[in-house]
Amino acid sequence: MSSESSRYGVEPGDYIGRRLPRVEDARMVRGEGHYVADLRVEGCLEAAFVRSSLAHGRLRGVRLDEARAVPGVVGVWSAHELPELPAAQPLFPAEVLEGRDWPSLATDRVRFAGQTVAVVVAENRYTAEDGADAVDVEVKELPAVLDPTKATTADAPELFEGLSNVVGEWGTGEDIGEDFWKNAPVVVEASYRQPPLAPTSIEGRAFLARPEEDGGLTVWCSHQAPHRLRRDLSSVFEIPQQKVRVVVPDVGGAFGGKSETFPEYLVVAYLALRLGRPVRWVEDRAEALAGATHGRGQNQRVRLAADRDGRMLALAVEVDASTGAYPHYGFAPLFNMLRLLAGVYKTPRIYARVRAVVTNTTPTAPYRGAGRPEAAYAVERTVDLLARRLDLDPAEIRRRNLIPPEALPYETPTGALYDSGDYPTALDKALEAADYESWRAEQRRRLESGDGSLLGIGISCYVESAGVMEEYGAVEARADGSFLALSGASSTGQGHEITFAQVVASALGVDVERVRVVEADTDAVPRGVGSFASRSMQVGGAALHRAALGLVEEARRRTANFFGISVEEVGYREGMLFAGSEELSLPELVERTGPLRVEDVFDPPQAFPYGCYVAVVEVDPELGNVRVLRLVAVDDCGLVINPMVVEGQAYGSIMQGLGQALYEEVPYDAAGRHLLDYGLLDYLLPTFSELPPVRLEEMETPNPNTPLGAKGVGESGCIGVPPAVVNAVADALGHPADLQMPLTPETCWTALCDRSAARSAEVRP
Amino acid sequence: MKPAPFDYRAVGSPQEAVSALAERPGEARVLAGGQSLVLEMNYRRERPKLLVDINGISELERIEEEGGVLWVGALVRHRDFEEPVSADPLGRLLSRVSRYIGHPPIRTRGTMAGSLAYAHPVAEWPAVAVALDAGIELLGPDGPRAVSAGDFFLRPFATACRPGEMITGVRLPLLGENSGVGFAEQRRTQASFALVAAVATLTVEDGTITAARIGLAGVAGRPIRAREAEEYLLGSPLSAEAFAEAGRRAVRETDPLPEPHAGVAYRRHAVGVLAGRALEQAAADLEGRA
Amino acid sequence: MKIELEVNGKKRELNIEPRRTLADALREDLGLTGTHLGCEHGVCGACTVILDGKAVRSCLMFAAQCGGREVRTVESLAADDGTPHPLQAAFVAEHGLQCGFCTPGFLMLVTAALEGDPDIVEDEERLRELLTSNLCRCTGYEGIRRAVVRAAGDMKAFS
Repeated sequence: MSSESSRYGVEPGDYIGRRLPRVEDARMVRGEGHYVADLRVEGCLEAAFVRSSLAHGRLRGVRLDEARAVPGVVGVWSAHELPELPAAQPLFPAEVLEGRDWPSLATDRVRFAGQTVAVVVAENRYTAEDGADAVDVEVKELPAVLDPTKATTADAPELFEGLSNVVGEWGTGEDIGEDFWKNAPVVVEASYRQPPLAPTSIEGRAFLARPEEDGGLTVWCSHQAPHRLRRDLSSVFEIPQQKVRVVVPDVGGAFGGKSETFPEYLVVAYLALRLGRPVRWVEDRAEALAGATHGRGQNQRVRLAADRDGRMLALAVEVDASTGAYPHYGFAPLFNMLRLLAGVYKTPRIYARVRAVVTNTTPTAPYRGAGRPEAAYAVERTVDLLARRLDLDPAEIRRRNLIPPEALPYETPTGALYDSGDYPTALDKALEAADYESWRAEQRRRLESGDGSLLGIGISCYVESAGVMEEYGAVEARADGSFLALSGASSTGQGHEITFAQVVASALGVDVERVRVVEADTDAVPRGVGSFASRSMQVGGAALHRAALGLVEEARRRTANFFGISVEEVGYREGMLFAGSEELSLPELVERTGPLRVEDVFDPPQAFPYGCYVAVVEVDPELGNVRVLRLVAVDDCGLVINPMVVEGQAYGSIMQGLGQALYEEVPYDAAGRHLLDYGLLDYLLPTFSELPPVRLEEMETPNPNTPLGAKGVGESGCIGVPPAVVNAVADALGHPADLQMPLTPETCWTALCDRSAARSAEVRP
Repeated sequence: MKPAPFDYRAVGSPQEAVSALAERPGEARVLAGGQSLVLEMNYRRERPKLLVDINGISELERIEEEGGVLWVGALVRHRDFEEPVSADPLGRLLSRVSRYIGHPPIRTRGTMAGSLAYAHPVAEWPAVAVALDAGIELLGPDGPRAVSAGDFFLRPFATACRPGEMITGVRLPLLGENSGVGFAEQRRTQASFALVAAVATLTVEDGTITAARIGLAGVAGRPIRAREAEEYLLGSPLSAEAFAEAGRRAVRETDPLPEPHAGVAYRRHAVGVLAGRALEQAAADLEGRA
Repeated sequence: MKIELEVNGKKRELNIEPRRTLADALREDLGLTGTHLGCEHGVCGACTVILDGKAVRSCLMFAAQCGGREVRTVESLAADDGTPHPLQAAFVAEHGLQCGFCTPGFLMLVTAALEGDPDIVEDEERLRELLTSNLCRCTGYEGIRRAVVRAAGDMKAFS
């Protein structure tokens, strides 16, 4: 059978670490991928939403008559006409939601610009928008509050009557106490702002619901967690789970923004059931930027104490995190953040408090990184401050504090159990790849020459948590010689169709082309969790690996039974079973003994990928433009199944991290309206022109807690890049006091002006 | 983001276009490149009842040079300027500026005249038109008329073009042998609008500046000429100090409107820097040919 | 209104509202769903098609404007026998796509450019300008850049 493997030039079974091209690409490059908007479902209607243009107000009336008369419009509804419409579902149940319902269509109050107020269902999207245009919404505007810290003050507008804007408060560690800070040899303090970001997958959200004759519901949705969506739909519409089918076709990117059971989805499913017709909603870009969820959005206050040698003694972090107008999703990333505040350092005392606060902004939710970037930024920016205070090189201060490899596994004061790795080596590799010492020399040369050019070098060491919850995996040998690999994960572009096949084919020792990956359909895969938190390979891949090994064992048992010998006498190699002089292929075994499928549900501990980033930047002293001259990324994501895919994830997340550092922020006016009239000309994604010279270096420490050894990949750039780039810019600008992302030209120019103002003030007596 | 309904009429001559526009006074719009108009229509901020498609009027695709003037028809696309359309330094200026507009597919469709008609406050062509005192040729129910660029732009997205009128062409003066050109722009990413931009031309005789033109975008409700800075340069040699000082003087002539992506102080500062850089480019352009 | 145009080498007749964008006419009326809509205001480029030999945004044109003209979409790139176009093959080989949503737009953008001048990849500034036309949120563009350079070489070797 090895001759069949010629396409990849690799022996069967030897697929780990191979750059195999992706299976899904064949259809995608031909335009034959199928995204929700591409599906043709007989009799399908299209929905459009009427959204609040104001951030906060009392809903006085929604007039629908004119819209109902628009040609092509099938129906128009506000909450008033749909008393049984279910409310939006939280990401996971939590008491913070008590009394804070998120009606799928606004009832008496609007709390963010972009909130759904009415829905139009029509023959096509054009006429649906005609209808939406004709709906008249009357709102009495109320004062809005946008900043989570301001929202905690006594005079802030109250979003939910009689309830605090602070919806929850969590923490880690014991309060360190003012005496400690007063007596600590060195203390540095800073405040950081994580602006709200729009995840901006190029395909927006999309949902199509078709009622079935048996009372069931079929849903096609651009989603990261189909089984959770099925569970929610089943529970709110009181349809048994086995009658709800969720299919996730090709997904045009997600980045955390497609994990939820959104209000729009519930409205569309409800109307499909009520009308007895399929209804689809395809989000447009205006809706995606204003009405979909945003990521990050928090204020951080950080204090770090050290001894005179720069050994970190204690870290305190206080965070006000905006959940946006409804807290259903935005509290979820905060736990990641709290757990990761030790970073890669052996700081003995850590105390952190985070308040989740409702504000009149678009609801926040996990966005690529989801709490990890916030933690890394708070730590890594402050470590640089400490280095500066002690006049130590930023690399040196990190060396003095890194958790040494021999200390791993290491439990942090925040309760994370780092599994394995070598943080000092990651730092050394990054410095070497960046040619750190030469850049420092160049920086000194420029300073001495006084030519005014501004060069900066920034480092960030990060550790992240990957994987959470269990995952389902099953492997089936078929009589036709093929294998099915069923996974509860659900690709949104990561390439599972090849990487999971590589895992299974390697475990079975068979040709990778014989393995077909099945996922993202709740009828085909009985259970699952989904793809987020860098968990697909770490957890889902490991479950498949175990299922494949289990299949070999099961095949041996059956063969033993078949021949009436003991299991120990049955050998297995490359899809063949050997029992004495007898040989049996897996397909033959299936033919003789019936279907052969082995399932596994695996729930390993979280893994902790880590790495180090170095950025070299130049700042235009006149205009404040930042140019990234070099970006080095050292990532250790454990065992690498397909380096091509891993590098692709690295580049993609590096660009998103660069977006956060330099370009991206959802802009609001004082009243809480988005300043996004020109869409993606206002909210700026990095383009090809913004791609800096990148160098990737890998380390590969297998995850000791799974038999496969993968740790998870995909979020590292979003975590490592912002502090590295901002540290570099701060270095170039002479460490200004209040440098906040995104580092627009104006931000840098303002920092330079402040510096020269401070200098001239120093000169004066 | 689907446009509201409209009627559509493809026309074959400017006269036919004007007659069509007259059928729906105030509710008809000219469709040329459509790269801004269709964007606005997809957002439903523009809801014309009638679109008059002038893309079939071949005479408006022409570029002609005669009597010291370059005439650019209303259908000349941004992309048509990428290779210089004139041996005069003006050709180099238009070429350089065109590379800053949108991106290649936008430049394939969008037109210079359409950009003037749209009058986005940081658009490149309006700044060029104002700097060069371009003449904008209009045709309406009462016949043709021309408006100088300085009078054409009123406010953001508002021009002297009346309902029922259309731009047929733009007249741009040639700069003459001893001229150099420059253009500098500040933007947040390569896919964003400019924050501010500066266009500069310099004409020199015997080492002395005899004519200077500076046009600025993004620092007022409309594109402006920095006349005080221009005057300051007259009689001066080509020098970095003079250009920097002209940039500083240009700043005094600005009065930016608030906008979401950069503050007034920054845009005033930046346009001064850019004006200086555009002038330096113009000088280098001159010297490069010398 | 009725129009006749040529799409991927075949004459097609359409009876459409004037407001129907070219993108929607291709997707909804002709079933060519390989052309994607990502922003509907000309920025992302997922809807890029080739009109009379040039790459354009099909969300910023009306189908009504395309009577008598030639449109090519991603569905036309592979040969009739299914052999992928060198650019398609290069996107696969160089990992030029992840979610695949922006891919058809990039393919048509670059196809038009390489047909016009395969040497565009030798000119860093022109290549930068070209690839800055479209947005990708997954790949960080590096795989796309490599794919385009590779395809240009392959296409030259062919011709």
